[in-house]
Amino acid sequence: MTSDAVARAESRVGKPTALLEVRSLTKRFGEVLANSDVDLTVMPGTVHGLIGENGAGKSTLLKMIYGVYTPDEGRMFVDGNLVAPGNPADARGLGIGMVFQDLRLVPALTVAENIALALPDGPTLKLRALSAKIEAASKEFGLAVDPTAKVRHLSIGERQRAEILKVLMTGARLVILDEPTSVLAPQEVEALLTVVASLRDQGLGIVLVTHKLNEVRAIADQVTVLRGGQAVLTSADPNDFSDEELVEAMVGRRVPPLSRVRQPVPASERAVLELQGATALGDRGYVALKGVDLEVHPGELVGVAGVAGSGQKELCEVALGLRPVSAGSVRVGDSPASGLGPSEAIAAGAVAIPEDPVADAVVPGLSVLEHMVLDGREVPRRGFGIDWQAVDARTTALDERVGLRMAPKKRTLASLSGGNIQRVLLTRELGQDATLVVAAYPSRGLDVANTRRTQEVLLEHRARGAAVLMVSEDLDELISVADRIAVMHDGHLVGVIETAGADRMSIGRLMLGGVA
Amino acid sequence: MTQEAQGTSGTGTETGAGTIPEPDTEVSTVSADETAAVAAAIVATALPAEVPTDRGPKISAGWSTGLRWFVALLAGLILFGAFVLANGADPIQVYADIWTSTLTQSGQFQQIILRAAPIALAGLAVVVPARAGLVNVGGEGQLIIGGIGAAAAALWLTPLMSPWVVVIAMMLFAMVAGALWAGIAAAMRLVVKVNEAVTTMLLNYVALYTMLFLILGPWKDPKALGQSTSVELNDAAKLPVIAGTQIHIGVIIAVVAAFAVWFALTRTTWGFRLSVVGGNGEAARRAGMPVVTLILTALLLGGALAGLAGFVQFAGMEYKLRPTFGLTIGYVAFLASWLSRHKPLPLLLASVVLAAIAVSGNSLQINSGLPAASVNILMGLLLVAVLGWTSPRKATS
Repeated sequence: MTSDAVARAESRVGKPTALLEVRSLTKRFGEVLANSDVDLTVMPGTVHGLIGENGAGKSTLLKMIYGVYTPDEGRMFVDGNLVAPGNPADARGLGIGMVFQDLRLVPALTVAENIALALPDGPTLKLRALSAKIEAASKEFGLAVDPTAKVRHLSIGERQRAEILKVLMTGARLVILDEPTSVLAPQEVEALLTVVASLRDQGLGIVLVTHKLNEVRAIADQVTVLRGGQAVLTSADPNDFSDEELVEAMVGRRVPPLSRVRQPVPASERAVLELQGATALGDRGYVALKGVDLEVHPGELVGVAGVAGSGQKELCEVALGLRPVSAGSVRVGDSPASGLGPSEAIAAGAVAIPEDPVADAVVPGLSVLEHMVLDGREVPRRGFGIDWQAVDARTTALDERVGLRMAPKKRTLASLSGGNIQRVLLTRELGQDATLVVAAYPSRGLDVANTRRTQEVLLEHRARGAAVLMVSEDLDELISVADRIAVMHDGHLVGVIETAGADRMSIGRLMLGGVA
Repeated sequence: MTQEAQGTSGTGTETGAGTIPEPDTEVSTVSADETAAVAAAIVATALPAEVPTDRGPKISAGWSTGLRWFVALLAGLILFGAFVLANGADPIQVYADIWTSTLTQSGQFQQIILRAAPIALAGLAVVVPARAGLVNVGGEGQLIIGGIGAAAAALWLTPLMSPWVVVIAMMLFAMVAGALWAGIAAAMRLVVKVNEAVTTMLLNYVALYTMLFLILGPWKDPKALGQSTSVELNDAAKLPVIAGTQIHIGVIIAVVAAFAVWFALTRTTWGFRLSVVGGNGEAARRAGMPVVTLILTALLLGGALAGLAGFVQFAGMEYKLRPTFGLTIGYVAFLASWLSRHKPLPLLLASVVLAAIAVSGNSLQINSGLPAASVNILMGLLLVAVLGWTSPRKATS
């Protein structure tokens, strides 16, 4: 089957017929125009970069192509034939495959079993034959995957390869990759781009959804930029545009680069945050933080890099008194030597952006205003209750100071998007004169302009003399704002690198457990 | 559960399927206990703890909400009609009986109000913990323990003090006893992390047997004939009645308590914090809130309110402990709280509606030959229909 697919794909190479051609697709959700008159053409043997901010309409476009949504207007052609996939199965039958951001694999099953689930292979499982097929296909496409390995034991990069292989084995000739690099270490990104290049060379069409311009530069033959549901650039050659022009196309206005001028970190005797041999258990009971020594001084911004799940979450929680240490010690400001709890950390002047805002900070039924008092600080009282007028005034002041333009105060958090929830929490926490800022993925869900503003606010805290600890999965972001970068691997702090003159690849090697 | 419940009736009469129940109120109330308890258990286990906030997103306001309520209630009534039909009675006649027996006789209406008072108080015992995301199925037992507390105060203090002091003491004893009983479940939740829905439910049986032990042993009234009971409360210590009616001041206590709980939940810092704990305990912890204290106070206050219901039932209705003291009130109150979505003021209305259905059970038995406990099926059907068809849809981001 897979060799058929390749043969078909190869037979198309060199022909002018587009693999996928989308003409004037329009989709409305009630009043909202999610996609308006969008065109997209993917030729065989090319990589098409699709970029745009959150809410620009990328997901809507992909879902129409993949048969999840039916377009209100417009037409789609595959190999020059008019098609209208009514559901994902139709789309797969047309040779369209999709690799989702949250990979659709069952962790408890092996790679072969997961692929068997996706193949229409009759009533019985022929796993041995399938394994042979998988190995053949994985050689053919240059995707190294062990078919007998349980998915749960694979790294994120390996899972992604398994997912891509699954999509290819179902006969896909057009592969859509939805923000595939957002969870990968730099080396894994390189490996993925190599895979994408080899698929392209075999004549497949690739749609690469991303918000990282360097990836577009590295691999995309054409680029389409969506903004507000409209294609601002359609199938353009990325080499014709500068980075600034592409960002302007995405955002709709110029975003000045972050100022590189920084005050040097003032010399200080005593760190605001001090961890000594801090060891802590993770949620599942195994040791997730292993003997970490780290100091963050006043006026210093320390970045934390690492592959997802390397102990960043536990590091932040230990620093905030949310997770007890099983060995070692942790101190925030003048907090007591033993037993740092959440209230003690708050009293010592810590503010926090949680790793998982919805699980850790959002009370669904409560409004934006009501969330503003959930920061652990003194709440204005009135009689038996809370003086909501005073809270309202304070909130307005915070919103002006931070400048992230929160959603209206009466809205419930349950009705807000991830980015808007993040802005509420950022405003509440970063609006205060904290001595310690612990920010986990602060720009999660934010658009380019708000990401930039958030970085500025963090730097303002640093300039004011606060100690800032910032976790990010975007190495470029850390390099642009941090004084030092602490790299984590498997619960250990494997190195602290001065950002000045830091090299992405050597940080990446540390993240993967190697030597810098 | 069947054996236990029947064993407590003290009659030993079997109520097997198909047999015509004797006109013995005790038999029918025992099966009432079973149906209500089973309904409560189903609700407790099948439904996620729904946390009311009074601030939730307004869902499809207007006629569509009203229509869904109407259809839900109608569906419950039709299903119960089918049950009545299957038992050889005329559903139209049954509904007509329920209507006339509850709404057209003034004496009956007062009976309904009197029944509703302890239901509302025990319902508040569900409402307050629900705000913190807790499921208190223990109103039944906390009410009985409250009754025991009131009886203890009456027994020990009547010879020593003036009647009105005894009344106050009964009330305090009942509330403290109910709170301590709920405190057992709270401690088990906080220390060994046992779900409070399970412990409160099981403690109901411990409470019942504790009361039976007392009235069969140390507190048994030597003058009681037949059924074992405790000594009847001195007339002077019975709750006073509003002039010209049968309504005792327990009804006023229930209304005042509902408004007090409404104020505490919606207008105080404590109530706000409870709703944060109930909405997202991790967010409360990260905001430095005293989560343990909040959970404890919510369950203790709940227990105290159920104890207060026990006091009203003891000093206002039954005047003595007997094997059927307060039977099913706690479970009906649980249904009332869920029907009102754990909001204190709508709870008053729900309590009156369920009390009316309960009172109408007697006419059902007399006119249609159905067991009085059949109305519990109606209550359960209405609850499931209303919860299932009018639940707010989850808001999507």
